[in-house]
Amino acid sequence: MPVSVIVILAAVVLILGYGVSLYNTLIRLKNQTENAWSQIDVQLKRRHDLIPNLVEVTKDAMDFEQETLTNVIEARNKAINASGQSREETINLEGQLTQALSKLLAVVEDYPDLKSNTNISELTEELTGTENRISFARQHYNDSATTLNTKVELFPSNLVASMFNFTKAVYFEVAEPEKQAIKVDLR
Amino acid sequence: MTDTKDQSFKNPWTRGRRTPWETEVVTEVSDRKKDTLRQDIIDRGPIILKTDFEGAIRHNKKLTNYLILLLTLLAALTGYGLGWGAEVYIFGIQYDSYQYPSGIPYYNIGALIGLGAFVTASLLWTVYALARGDEYLLDKVGAIPADRDLHKRLFNVTEEMAIASGLPMPSVGILESPAMNAFAAGLSPEKATICVTTGLLKHCSRDQLQGVIAHEMSHILNDDIRYKTVVSVLVGLILLVGDSMQELSYRRRYRSNYGSSYSSSSSDDKGGNAIGAAVILLISILAPLAAKLIQMAISRQREYLADATAVKLTRYPNGLIGALQKISTAQDRYVRANRSIQHLFLVNPFRDFPAKSSKLLATHPPIKMRIERLQLLGANGSLF
Repeated sequence: MPVSVIVILAAVVLILGYGVSLYNTLIRLKNQTENAWSQIDVQLKRRHDLIPNLVEVTKDAMDFEQETLTNVIEARNKAINASGQSREETINLEGQLTQALSKLLAVVEDYPDLKSNTNISELTEELTGTENRISFARQHYNDSATTLNTKVELFPSNLVASMFNFTKAVYFEVAEPEKQAIKVDLR
Repeated sequence: MTDTKDQSFKNPWTRGRRTPWETEVVTEVSDRKKDTLRQDIIDRGPIILKTDFEGAIRHNKKLTNYLILLLTLLAALTGYGLGWGAEVYIFGIQYDSYQYPSGIPYYNIGALIGLGAFVTASLLWTVYALARGDEYLLDKVGAIPADRDLHKRLFNVTEEMAIASGLPMPSVGILESPAMNAFAAGLSPEKATICVTTGLLKHCSRDQLQGVIAHEMSHILNDDIRYKTVVSVLVGLILLVGDSMQELSYRRRYRSNYGSSYSSSSSDDKGGNAIGAAVILLISILAPLAAKLIQMAISRQREYLADATAVKLTRYPNGLIGALQKISTAQDRYVRANRSIQHLFLVNPFRDFPAKSSKLLATHPPIKMRIERLQLLGANGSLF
C-alpha cells in the first residue's frame, strides 16, 4: 500500500473518531437538557395540584379580591391544557400563572386575618417552596440549555449537529412584567 | 461598566497554575451576549459560565487511585520497619553481625511478616473503605438522620439545591453540636449524605443555610466526596496505627527505665534496643505526617471551586458569605472532630488558619480569603 493511502486512511479514521466523540457529547447534553425539563415538569405539576386547595381556603375570606382569584384559576386551567403542547406555549402560560400567583400571595400578605389563618399560611408556605423549586429547576434547565446551544452553534460541533438534526433548546425565560418589577440601574 | 476591556481586573480565581479546580469567571463577553448577561446579573446576581466539573471529576478518580497505591506502599514500608523493629526491640532477637555483610540488618523474618500483614490489612481496609466508607464515617462523627418534620427548612433547602444542581436528593444528617459546620460524605452522587450541625441550623438564616448546602452539594457534583471519604477512612487507620505505636514506644521506654525484667543486660543488646526504638519512633512520627501531607494537599483548591459552584447554584453569594462570616466569629468548635476527618468540613473544625500561615499545614483556605473571593463574585455585577 502506498504511503499516501495510509495517511489518508489514518486521517479519515481520526476525523471519524472525533466526529463520534462530538456526537456523543451532543447526545449527552441533549439528554441532560431533556432531563432538566422533566424536572421542571414535576415541579409545575406540583404547583397545579396545590392551587385548588389554596383557592378553596381563600375563597370565602377574600370576596373583595375575586378578580385575583379568578385570574389564578384561569391561568392554571390554561397552563394545564397547554401541557403536551409546544415548550414555548408551556413557558408562556406558566409564566402567566406565576404572575397571577405572585399577585395572590401579595394580597394574602396584605390582609392580617388571612395571614394568621393557619391553613392559608401553611399553603402559602408550601406554594412559596414550590415556587423556589420551580425557579431552581428553571435555572438548571437554562444552564443545561446554554451548554447544549453553545455546542450546537460552535464549530466544529455545529457540523455534526446539523448533520443529525440537533436543534437549539428554548430558554425558559421569566415573563416580562415580573422582570420589570426589579429595576436596578448599575450604570 | 460598559467597557470591560479597559478594566484591569485581576481575577483571583485564575491565579497561578491552572488545575481542574480553578474556575473561570467571565470577565469579558462578546457584545451580543453582554446585554442578556447583564440582565441576568440584575435578575439573579452574577453567574459563573464555566466551571470544569468533568475535569474535576476525572482528576478525583485519578487521585483516588494514586492515593490507594501510595498508602499501600506506605503500609508496606511501615510494616517492614515495624516488623524489623519489633523483632529486634520487643522480642530481643539478635542476629550475629556476620550474617549481614554490610553490618546493617536489612531484612529478616519479622520484617517480612510485618510487610505481609500490613499490605494485606491495608488492602482489606481499602476494599472496605470503597464499599462502606461513608457509613463508617457517618457513624464515627456521630451523625444522625434528620427528621423531615423537625427539620423542614433543611429538607426544603437541600431539595432546592439538589434540583438546582440536577442531582438526586442526598440523605440529610444532623450533628448535635453548638459549633457551626457542615460536611458531605459518600461514595457516589447517588449515594451521598449532607450533614449540618444543630448550631448551624440555629444561627443561620435561610439564605445562609442555602449557601452552605449549595457548597456541600458542589462537593457532591465535583465528586470530591468519594475521594475525601476514602482519604478519611484510609488515613484514619494510619493515624490510629501511628498513635498506638507512639504509645507502645512510650510504655516500652517506661519499662526499661524502671527496672524491666526482660531487658537484656549485654551491651550488644542495648545497641539493638536503641536502633529498634529509633525505628519505631521514626515510623510513629513519619506515618501520621505522611498521612497528614496527603490529606492537606487535597483540600484548598476544592474549597474555592465548591464556593464558586455554590454561587452558581444559588445565584446569591451573600448567603454563603454571611454564613462564613458568622462561622468565623463563632467560638464553638466541633468537639468530635478528629484529624482524619477535618478536611471534610465546610470550615476546619479545629481552627481557622490565618492568611499568612503555611499552605502546607492548612486543610482549608482562610475564611477571610474565601469571603473576599465570594465578594468579588457578589459585588453587583462588578465582574462586568
